[in-house]
Amino acid sequence: MNTISTNQSTDNSSDVLTTDNFIEVRGLSFYRGSRVIFNNIDLDIPRGKVVGIMGPSGTGKTTLLRLIGRQLVPDQGSIMVDGHDIASLSRERLFVLRRKMGMLFQSGALFTDLTVFENVAFPLRIHTELSESMIRDIVFMKLQAVGLRGAWSLMPSELSGGMNRRVALARAIALDPEMVMYDEPFVGQDPIAMGVLVGLIRKLNQALGITSIIVSHDLHETASIADLLYLIADGEVIGRGTPEEMLNSTDPRVSQFMQGMPDGPVPFHYPANDYQKELLTPEVFDEV
Amino acid sequence: MKFDVLGRLAQLGQFVLGHIQSIGRSGIFLFLAIFSRASFKNKGELLIRQLYNVGVLSLIIVTVSGLFIGMVLALQGYSILVSYGSEGAVGQLVALSLVRELGPVVTALLFAGRAGSALTAEIGLMKATEQLSSMEMIGVDPLKRVIAPRFWAGVISMPLLAAIFNLVGILGGSMVGVDWLGIYEGSFWTGMQQSVDFIDDVGNGMVKSLVFGIVVTWIAVFQGYDATPTSEGISRATTRTVVYSSLAVLGLDFILTAVMFGEL
Repeated sequence: MNTISTNQSTDNSSDVLTTDNFIEVRGLSFYRGSRVIFNNIDLDIPRGKVVGIMGPSGTGKTTLLRLIGRQLVPDQGSIMVDGHDIASLSRERLFVLRRKMGMLFQSGALFTDLTVFENVAFPLRIHTELSESMIRDIVFMKLQAVGLRGAWSLMPSELSGGMNRRVALARAIALDPEMVMYDEPFVGQDPIAMGVLVGLIRKLNQALGITSIIVSHDLHETASIADLLYLIADGEVIGRGTPEEMLNSTDPRVSQFMQGMPDGPVPFHYPANDYQKELLTPEVFDEV
Repeated sequence: MKFDVLGRLAQLGQFVLGHIQSIGRSGIFLFLAIFSRASFKNKGELLIRQLYNVGVLSLIIVTVSGLFIGMVLALQGYSILVSYGSEGAVGQLVALSLVRELGPVVTALLFAGRAGSALTAEIGLMKATEQLSSMEMIGVDPLKRVIAPRFWAGVISMPLLAAIFNLVGILGGSMVGVDWLGIYEGSFWTGMQQSVDFIDDVGNGMVKSLVFGIVVTWIAVFQGYDATPTSEGISRATTRTVVYSSLAVLGLDFILTAVMFGEL
C-alpha cells in the first residue's frame, strides 16, 4: 500500500491521484492466443472520480472492463477492487463484490424475455427484500432518469439501440452501486440523449459519489466529464492525466489521438504489404 | 514426409485431447448446474416457465408422431400376423414395441430436434448478446438462473412425453387394428394386458426415457453455453446438439436394452 502511494505522488502532477483508489491494476498482462492485448500495465481508478479510458478501437478497452469484473482472468498481474484481490475470491464472494459494480454493456444486454420494467427490477428482486410497491417506485425513478418511464411496458425488441442502452443504464444503477463501468455509452445516441447521458453520468458521480469508468471513443463527451483520462494503445498505457493535460500533451502519440490526426506514430492502417506493389501485382494473393 | 506424419499425429492428439477436455468441461458444468443451491425466490416459477417451453410446446409433435407410429405398427403387424391367423396379437406387438423401444427412443429424437435445438439456440444467443455476462455482473450465476431450470425441465418433461407418446400410439394402434381392420377387441386388449409387465416393460421404458432426457438436455444446454458467440457458432452448436444427442440416444438405447432385456 505504501509503495503504491509513493508511486502516485512522484509519478504524476495531477492531484486527483492522491485520493484512495477503488481499483488498482498492477502489472496486468493479458493475451488472446499469441496476440498481446495488455503488456504489463498499471492503472488506478480513484474512488468517487469519473475516469475515461480511451484508445483506438481494438486496443482491448472492453477487455479491460471484463478483467475488472473478472469475467476474464489476467495472465499476469493483479487487480484490486475495493481492497479485494479479485483473482483470489471464491465464486460466492465474487458475486457479492459484483453487487457493488454496475456495468453498462456495449449492446445493452437487456434480458430479451423480460419487459423494460422487469429488466430494471431484476437486480432489485434478486438482491433485496423490498416490497413490490417499493420496487415499482425505484424502477420508475431510474427509468425517469434516463427518460424512458413511459416505455416501462415495452419489450427490449421494441426499443431502438440507443433506448436499449439507456434502459440498461437504468438497470446498472438500480442497486445504487459504488462503481459503474460504461462501455461506449455514447454510441448510437442522438445529440439530445447524449447531452442527457453526459449530464446523468456527471450527476450520479457528484450526487452519489459513484466511481465511474467510461470506455469510449467520443473524445469531447468523455473529456467534458472525466476527472482523469487514460489513453491505451498497443497494449500499453501511453498517456494519463486530466483532460487539459492530455489535450496539451506534447507526447506525439497522445496528441495524435487527442487531435484526431490520421498520420502519426499510431498507425491508422492494419499492418499490410506495400500498397503500390499490391495494386500492381495481383499475384500476391497466391503468395498468401 | 516424416515431418508430415508427425504433424498428422500431433493433429490427431490435439483433436482427441480437445474432445476429452470438452467432455470434462461439460461434466463440471453439469455438476455446477445441478448441485448449486439456487438462492432466488422465484425458482419454482422459473422451472414452470421452462416446463412449458420445453415440455408443453413439444406436445404436438410428440402426440402426432405417436399416433402415426402406433397406426403404422398395427397395420404392419396385422398384414403379417393375419396370415398365421393370430391377428389378435397385434395389441401385444404394438404395446410392447412402443413401451420398450419406440416410445423412449423416438420421443428422445423428436425432443432433441424440437426442444434441444431450441435450448441451444436460446442459450447461445443469450451468450452472444451478452445477457449471460450482464447476469453475471448483476451478481446472478447464470448456471443457477438459466441453465439449472432448463436442465431440470428437460429431465422432468422427457419421461412424461414418452408416456404420452406410448399412450397415443396404443390408441392409434387400436384405431387401426380394432376399428378399421376389425381385430376382435377383446383379444386386442387382453393380449396386451397379459404380455406387458409393469416393472419389466413400462418401468424399464421409463428408465430409458429418463436417461435420454438427462443426456439430451445436458448436451443441449452445454452446447448453448459453450457456443462461440457468433451467428456461425450458434448455428454449429445447434447442429451439434441434434447430431450428438441423436447418436447418444441410439447408442445408449443399445446399451440399456442389453442390460435390461439381454438375458431374454
